[in-house]
Amino acid sequence: MSRLVVHLDMDSYFASVEQQARPSLRGKPIGVTGRPSERSIITAFSREAKRYKVWTGMPVWEALKACPNLVLVEGHPRRYIEVTKQFLEILKEYCARIEIYSIDEVFMDATQEASKHGGPIAMAEEIQRRFRESFGSIITATIGIAQGKTFAKLIAARNKPDGIGILDLEELPEILETTLVGEIWGIGRRISMRLNRAGIRTLKDLGEASPAFLKHEFGVYGLHLWEIGQGFDSTPIVPYFEIPAPKSVGHSKSLPPELREFDLAKVVLRDLCDKVGRRMRKLGYMGRTVHCGFRVGSVGPHHGKQTTLDLPSDDGEIIYNACLKVLRKIPIQPEQVSNVGVSVGNLTPRDRMPNFLLEEDRRRERLNQAIDGIRNRYGEQAVRVGTTLLAKPIPQHIGGFIMASDDIELG
Amino acid sequence: MMQHFVNEPVDALAIYRRGAPHPLLCTFRWKDQRYDVKETHLVHRKNTGETIHRIYSVDCDQRTCVLRLDADRAQWTLESMELLS
Repeated sequence: MSRLVVHLDMDSYFASVEQQARPSLRGKPIGVTGRPSERSIITAFSREAKRYKVWTGMPVWEALKACPNLVLVEGHPRRYIEVTKQFLEILKEYCARIEIYSIDEVFMDATQEASKHGGPIAMAEEIQRRFRESFGSIITATIGIAQGKTFAKLIAARNKPDGIGILDLEELPEILETTLVGEIWGIGRRISMRLNRAGIRTLKDLGEASPAFLKHEFGVYGLHLWEIGQGFDSTPIVPYFEIPAPKSVGHSKSLPPELREFDLAKVVLRDLCDKVGRRMRKLGYMGRTVHCGFRVGSVGPHHGKQTTLDLPSDDGEIIYNACLKVLRKIPIQPEQVSNVGVSVGNLTPRDRMPNFLLEEDRRRERLNQAIDGIRNRYGEQAVRVGTTLLAKPIPQHIGGFIMASDDIELG
Repeated sequence: MMQHFVNEPVDALAIYRRGAPHPLLCTFRWKDQRYDVKETHLVHRKNTGETIHRIYSVDCDQRTCVLRLDADRAQWTLESMELLS
């Protein structure tokens, strides 16, 4: 039996959720932003807005120029995460092996399950019907079905919005001949240009190219490209319950104008360190390498350096002190920064670490456990580091729009 | 299309159906006025620590209302109201 991969992609996801929750936004071109100000960027557009040649990541001012009647809507990340959790619960009833690719995209291995639901198309139709029953008519999903992930994604992209597509093997030669390499998932502009320079424009060209040449040009990825050119994709589905161990844990924050002063940015950094520590404790890891950096200006260079702790840690304060050490190493000390970030790598599972020897370290560990307990019970804002309260605007901006992958937890 | 933020507790009548993921909100009373729910647009969960809130976006009498249900305390709060033009 050949593999059956289902790719499900929510249509204009954030915008659809907003339109579902607020009927007054339906039928209007809307742009979802972190904060509805001209300095912000659009994270999602509604279907109506997409007609105006706008794209995700476009600055608000540019989007308003392209689409003057664009309605700006402040995004609700928790709302999207919760809707995602709800649709994943539905999908779990159909397939066991689900890979959460992003907040609005999943891959499912339906090789075993499709026949139980009357075949892949019937299963996809049933999923779409369940979605309509659960979320209403505005939040829709497009489903692509193929033998591999790449082709399932391609088929879904060609059947948007609210469509179902299945790759017919008889049509495969035509698809290989007509599909440009740039249309394929994972082939970005630069790889596409390099392939074009080598005379490879379509998937058929890719399949006819020498595997040795592709391997020489792109390494192991070249062999994957060649495989795609043959109309085959063996990329495995990594189910949510087999997620590989994290290599690092980090947070970064684009700063609003009122927090760009370097000293205030450090206060934000303190909060980010606290979040990193909290996430590491939740995931059960401690780390030794602390990387910290900032960006000057909206398109300016990123300045960052790293340091290694004497002992692995998951404590926000220790991470922050390491960040301060790192910041002192960076020769530039600007008055204003637009982004700050911290990440901790070189991770070791907490349960493989010996217990702390010094009473001071044990006390801090108990303190963190107590704080985690309070936050688990009363929410993340129940206990905060005192210094982060000094700058009043922080509470409403911290949290931002970034979703950590461990935000979506499935039982 | 202006949203008015209210954040006030309200009396509500809801049906707890067997097997349903969340109670069905039928009507609520705010400032001595009764609002009958004509359609439920979206219900999603929002956790604050252990407290589970359910956020309802509903249509009633040409208004879109957002209500929050604190499932532990069985308390309903009207979060915002938007008049549909």
